[in-house]
Amino acid sequence: MIRHECLELLAPLITDHLVVTSQSGQRIEWSHLSKHEGNLLVGMMGCALGVGMGLALALPHRRVVVLESDGSILLSLFNLVTLANLHPQNLTVFVFDNQVYSGTRISEPTATAGKTDLEAMARGAGLEQAVTVRYLDGFRQEATAALTATKLCFIVCRVEESGIHREIPRPTVDLAENKYRFVRHVERTEGKPNPFVGRG
Amino acid sequence: MENGLAQKLVQALREAGINFITYLPETRLSQILPLLRADPSVQLVPVASEAEGITIAAGAVLGGKQAACYLESTGLYVSSYSLVTMGKQLGVPILLVVGFLGGFGDRRNSFLYATIGNRTIPHLKGLGIEYTVLEDGEKLSVKVKDAVRTMNALRAPVALLFAGEFTL
Repeated sequence: MIRHECLELLAPLITDHLVVTSQSGQRIEWSHLSKHEGNLLVGMMGCALGVGMGLALALPHRRVVVLESDGSILLSLFNLVTLANLHPQNLTVFVFDNQVYSGTRISEPTATAGKTDLEAMARGAGLEQAVTVRYLDGFRQEATAALTATKLCFIVCRVEESGIHREIPRPTVDLAENKYRFVRHVERTEGKPNPFVGRG
Repeated sequence: MENGLAQKLVQALREAGINFITYLPETRLSQILPLLRADPSVQLVPVASEAEGITIAAGAVLGGKQAACYLESTGLYVSSYSLVTMGKQLGVPILLVVGFLGGFGDRRNSFLYATIGNRTIPHLKGLGIEYTVLEDGEKLSVKVKDAVRTMNALRAPVALLFAGEFTL
């Protein structure tokens, strides 16, 4: 199973969800596969899960989906303990673990290529519901359930490295543009203005 | 800090519209925590690192909250990456409520804190984060409102450094 296959399967299942992606190849692949206005393409490693937690706490009636990577999670491991203790019931986290830092021209192993097991770490942090999927059928089953669940879901997707993110067009929407589009989408769907925008 | 000053600070945050606060406990301003915990108008979120104090607050802001992050000034070093990326690069306003240890105005200053404290303001300047140092409770409500207005106008984090009477 590769990440792009999982995201292809996931994209049509997104409805009123708010989706936060970390900076990695999946940001490029997701922006290519999904034009959902509730996508927040975070352009930094180590930030998406924190942002997703904040969104989930601020909007407890909305399901928030975070698309993380192994490298990004490893950069902010404190997120696991905080997530376990805050335990927002409306958050679904997918960690696409391809065991590499896979940039535009690097492919260097992460700790998960060695001895580290993200599901075990998540469980140790207190996320007892953490699971690992290794095949597309398992991903389909877990993802479908997790998008409509009423509980916190944490799914490690053990994928093979692929270079698709190097071949498809990169997003042309810049960070600020994406932020405002996302915030306007939240305003529109929540029916109330965000305090920090629109004061000219 | 005297309990009356803590109450004044919490009241000022409330009046400025702050309704979501992430925090990593510290000593200087710690009297505000039980008051915030008892305030139903504020969502109080404990974190394990100031770095995620910023990212979680940023998510809440994008979801419509008016957020603050309460941290010790050492946490400004820990959270610098989050402040630059989520705060400055993405442009998300967050009020930084900072217990300013180790500065001139830290009434508990010692060799443990002074080296850290004397780099705090140069560090904020390096990050491009606007700040003001508060030594006492005079016009506190106005100053907190000014900071919130400024952060929203800048679409960036703004720091209130609490020293002097706040550090007692």
